[in-house]
Amino acid sequence: MKTANLTAMLSAATLAFLHAASATAQTSDKWIIAEVAPLSGPAATVGAQLNKVARLWAEEVNARGGIKGKKVELITCNDEGKPEKAVACVRDALRQDAVMFFAHSLTASTRAMQSALTNGPLMIVASPNIVPAPDTFTFQVSPSDHHITVAIADYVQANKLKGLGMIAATDASGEVGVESAQKVFAERKLDLKLRRIDLKANDSSVQLASVAGPDVDLVYSSYSGGGAATVVKSFTNLGLTQPLVVSYANLSAAFIEVVKDVMPKRLLGTAIKSLVPDTMGDAATAKRAKEFMAAYEKKYGERSDMINLLGKMDVDVAEAVLTNVANPADNQAVKKFLESTPIESVQHLKFSPNSHVGLTEKDVVIVEYKNGGWVRAAPVGAR
Amino acid sequence: MNALSQTIISGLFGGAVYALLGIGLVLVYRTSHVLNLAHGESYAVAGITAAAATSHGLPLVWSIVLALVLSSLLSMALYRVVLGPRGHWPMSTLVLITLGAAFLVRGVLNAAIGPDPVSFAPLFRGPPLRILGGIIPLQGLMLIIFGFVLSLGAAMFLQHSRLGKQLLATAENPRAAQLLGINVERARLIAFGLSGLLAGAAAVLLVPLVSVDYQAGLSMTLRGFVAAAIGGMMPTRVVVSGFLLGIFEAAIGSYLGALYQDPVMFGILIVVAVWQSRMIRFGGARRA
Repeated sequence: MKTANLTAMLSAATLAFLHAASATAQTSDKWIIAEVAPLSGPAATVGAQLNKVARLWAEEVNARGGIKGKKVELITCNDEGKPEKAVACVRDALRQDAVMFFAHSLTASTRAMQSALTNGPLMIVASPNIVPAPDTFTFQVSPSDHHITVAIADYVQANKLKGLGMIAATDASGEVGVESAQKVFAERKLDLKLRRIDLKANDSSVQLASVAGPDVDLVYSSYSGGGAATVVKSFTNLGLTQPLVVSYANLSAAFIEVVKDVMPKRLLGTAIKSLVPDTMGDAATAKRAKEFMAAYEKKYGERSDMINLLGKMDVDVAEAVLTNVANPADNQAVKKFLESTPIESVQHLKFSPNSHVGLTEKDVVIVEYKNGGWVRAAPVGAR
Repeated sequence: MNALSQTIISGLFGGAVYALLGIGLVLVYRTSHVLNLAHGESYAVAGITAAAATSHGLPLVWSIVLALVLSSLLSMALYRVVLGPRGHWPMSTLVLITLGAAFLVRGVLNAAIGPDPVSFAPLFRGPPLRILGGIIPLQGLMLIIFGFVLSLGAAMFLQHSRLGKQLLATAENPRAAQLLGINVERARLIAFGLSGLLAGAAAVLLVPLVSVDYQAGLSMTLRGFVAAAIGGMMPTRVVVSGFLLGIFEAAIGSYLGALYQDPVMFGILIVVAVWQSRMIRFGGARRA
């Protein structure tokens, strides 16, 4: 009886081993790309937009036979914008032999992912609030929040304004924006009137009233997500006439739809140049941007937005690594490749051994919503 | 612009929302002793319905009517289908069931409209009004007026009308109420329906000034709960506490900064809870 039990246990163990070996063999036939994104929760809008681009890319790559003969398998984990869930997603993906990560979540989640991936593999980040240290395996495709703030300060100075009023949220992203603004505007000796707003506020008239006085010619809301609509609506309801600059993450058709009934006289925004391809000097890059926008619109039946463009740069970095690095699982080889090779995407991404942020303030443009689309912003006259 | 006036105006916006949501929670609690954690879902359903209906070409007024009907029906369905048949279950279990219902509605809304926030045009349009150096949009003024009238009306109805007293009796002693000829099931269904209607009213008044998404419900329930708890689950007190809470919250945001709003507000809630339990121990106030 004991012998029979032992035989059964050994058989079961052998079967389990063979099954595991077969699973590993299947895994090695494809590139496992892990995406951590908030598909529900407060940042679901951002997560869903980035996820759409990642899925589009995986489908396109697989339709043309994959990369180096291997198909791409995108495994998306919904972290709901919660750091503890993001870390659980990372652990789960590592168990599945993920060769790289797309960090498509909020600032706090992405920071938690960084801690869990200090020894690699490659993590590609799309949030401007993260500035990866050059000794890590994390690379940032967006200009940093500091770069965006410098671009705003440049615009303020180019228009001969004395400063601006700013509204920032009370969360981690808002904190990054406040730090950047206080540093950059102090360096430029520009006036900064700053107020914070709670994420669940019904009204931002009190905050706007204190930063948008008659001596202020431009107001900036770094608040992203649905709550930013509250700022825009309160701004218009107060009858304020200054141009209002909204954040990077709000340059989408969905956001315009929410505020269309109460549009400010002039709605401006911060964007990377590829959102307005005609502002780009390089014809080839502008062409890539237009081709991506067309492919996205064909697939999803909607116009692409800022978030989609950041997602496009993410997937282009991933594809460049998978195509050009002999062993994409070799973290040092991947790091060396990215630090030495510019990546051609909807904008030129250039990392270096000293900086893992691919774009700078030169890649940022201040845009304005006109006639149903975003164009380069016209000058702001000092009042 | 006068900062104090603007703070009061902003506080009244928030207060109207606190009062409307708080009185809805109290209505249900005082008739069935259930803390309905799915109360805010009626707000989310109403806001999203009105936005979706207007974007599909339905006139604004009819979109609002549809939103109010659905928010009320949702609340009634929660009682009729989920809570009513399980009335003999422990109260804590019923509260958890309402939380489950809230997540179910949230999931359905996400599947139906996606994660993007939505909004719709204000029903009351016109140039903003200037009052004592503060500025208030017409829709905002209506939010304050309707918020006050509806929440106070609901409180008065509950405390002074015959039907309101019947509703209260169903919670105090359902069996005795039934013996006196009160249809307990019907009374509770009415309470849930009214509660959903008030949450829907909060949505159709507030959403044009902000936006709403599929996950707005629970945060709205929390707001209502704070007002209801501070008001000791007493109808008229909830209206007063709701408006005072809104003004106080705006004043903290205005004079101390938004970072202090949550710690101060929840600090107040704890102090009030401790004070109320002290009163109960010494035979003072009624238990919430």
